Amino acid sequence: MKRKLRSGLSVSLLAVAACMALHAPDSLAARDAQTILKETCQGCHTPEADNALSRISHQRKTPEGWLMSIARMQTMHGLQISDDDRRTLVKYLADTQGLAPSETDGVRYALERRLNTVEKFDDQTSQMCGRCHSGARVALQRRPAREWEHLVNFHLGQWPSLEYQALSRDRDWFDLARKDMVPLLAKRYPLDNPAWKKWLGNAPKAEAFVGDWSFSGHLPGKGELAGVMSVVADGDDTFKVGVKGQYADGSPFNGDGSAILYTGYEWRGNVTIDGVTMRQVFAAQGNAMQGRMFEAEHDERGLDFVAAKQGSSRLLAVQPGYLKAGAETEVTLIGSGLSGKPNFGKGVEVVEVVEQGADRIKVKLKAAANAQPGLRNVTVGTLKGPTLAVYSKIAEVKVVPEFSVARIGGGGGSTPKVQGRFDAEAWGKGADGKPYRIGVFPAQWSVAAFDDRAKEDEDVKFAGTMQADSGVFTPGDAGPNPQRKMSTNNAGNLKVIAAVDDAGKSLTGEGHMIVTVQRWNNPPIP
Amino acid sequence: MKHLKAINNKALKLDEAAAENRIEEVVAMSSVAGCASTTDPGWEIDAFGGVSSLCQPMEADLYGCSDPCWWPAQVPDMMSTYPDWNKDAQASNDNWRNLGTVFPKDK
Repeated sequence: MKRKLRSGLSVSLLAVAACMALHAPDSLAARDAQTILKETCQGCHTPEADNALSRISHQRKTPEGWLMSIARMQTMHGLQISDDDRRTLVKYLADTQGLAPSETDGVRYALERRLNTVEKFDDQTSQMCGRCHSGARVALQRRPAREWEHLVNFHLGQWPSLEYQALSRDRDWFDLARKDMVPLLAKRYPLDNPAWKKWLGNAPKAEAFVGDWSFSGHLPGKGELAGVMSVVADGDDTFKVGVKGQYADGSPFNGDGSAILYTGYEWRGNVTIDGVTMRQVFAAQGNAMQGRMFEAEHDERGLDFVAAKQGSSRLLAVQPGYLKAGAETEVTLIGSGLSGKPNFGKGVEVVEVVEQGADRIKVKLKAAANAQPGLRNVTVGTLKGPTLAVYSKIAEVKVVPEFSVARIGGGGGSTPKVQGRFDAEAWGKGADGKPYRIGVFPAQWSVAAFDDRAKEDEDVKFAGTMQADSGVFTPGDAGPNPQRKMSTNNAGNLKVIAAVDDAGKSLTGEGHMIVTVQRWNNPPIP
Repeated sequence: MKHLKAINNKALKLDEAAAENRIEEVVAMSSVAGCASTTDPGWEIDAFGGVSSLCQPMEADLYGCSDPCWWPAQVPDMMSTYPDWNKDAQASNDNWRNLGTVFPKDK
């Protein structure tokens, strides 16, 4: 029966595909977005007043959101579209029906692929939406009530068994979705929003981003880095990008690539560093860029990135951001338009300026033996922002992320392993007794069974390997493992342990890592 | 629930956890962006915040789950969206390596 149903479905899908093919372009010549909308999308979407199209004209999304919608048309409705046309459409729709910067506040982690973020939505949103996919996927869309309702109907039609799952079968899911969630979402994430209209009128032109940018970053498992990113115009809203930087350990971070600006601020780049393609997902506003740069095939390997345009004046970071009372060390200030002697606050003396430039100042610092533990505001002239932590002893070590998910992979399968990557954060106790963050310290790393079940199942032996000096955990191979009970997968429930040495005394911190199975459905917004 | 009796270890553990009111707390904890926390069980994390009560090895009965759209955000559903996902992997336990990712990438 199922087979019959399936083949019936395939025939109808073919019919749709054939119908769509009629609307496919005759040649591969580049088409503009209006032409694609008319020649391709209008095959299904009906024209409405004011040059609008059904469904499409009543939603606003991020570039990734539009990409996912078009990809869904490809997989579910047989849409045939060339990669070039899809790119053209995503660009046009994100520019004309995107989100204002303020509308992405608090949920950029999903675009930046920070997949260990523990989401904080209200219970109802978490249970109705966030139990299958991220709440951010919802929060990064804007629709009127009617369009949210279409989305509910689509979910139930496409995945009818959702009503039988936990957190559905105990309630009238469909009724709640229509009567509670739809009005809530329409109010919280409305199509019409003054912030968007204002942004459309004031968005900067792409030329504003051409120039050199001083950047600072941090890659878990590797350390801090800094350098210069050069941006050259290469067409409408597209750029050539060059990156020249260096990690704190002296290893280079150099590469070239390209970038596109969507919606006047959504910067998306592809830069090849040492043969590896890295994606840039930044919010670019004024003279500042901020976001994350991560490997295209391994988004868990990524760095926090912040940049200031040269010619502007901004202090971005102090590397390293801590100093022990009574000790001497070299620190580097990263920014743009830096001039004058930096000040590090009470009890911290600049012994020597080793290097002075507009985008970096390197100094030798000495903290007085009796310098009070705590954070100092760092200033250069009138510029401020970063802090320097002065400490006499480490009070606590925290593993970051505290809770994380790694995935088995490889083993001949199509999905790569998703590593766990950790930092050991040292925290001090201030004179006021309150804890303060000192910074990321080198640590000795290990894993242990999280509980008795994990011990009994020998998760430590099978789930993967922790690199002792870097905090990088590489999971085991995908597939059933005949060496395990019931041939179970190389999943595991592990403690992540960091041991930090503080003047001969070892302090440990613990995190929790779930090593779990692969996913095959992996769109840009989780 | 009073008419249902646990007959295997997994069910006994669920009973114990329910009796101690521990279920809600692990559901909240396992909500990392993009993970399915539907707890019968989740795809990534079980109802106890661990992995030992997941359906694993998942290859043993993968299509029993992908067919009726269980975890459709992680596992391609074969009822509505990807009917041919397993065309090169009829026996998931042996052919799981032939299962591909489904988001249509630029070529």
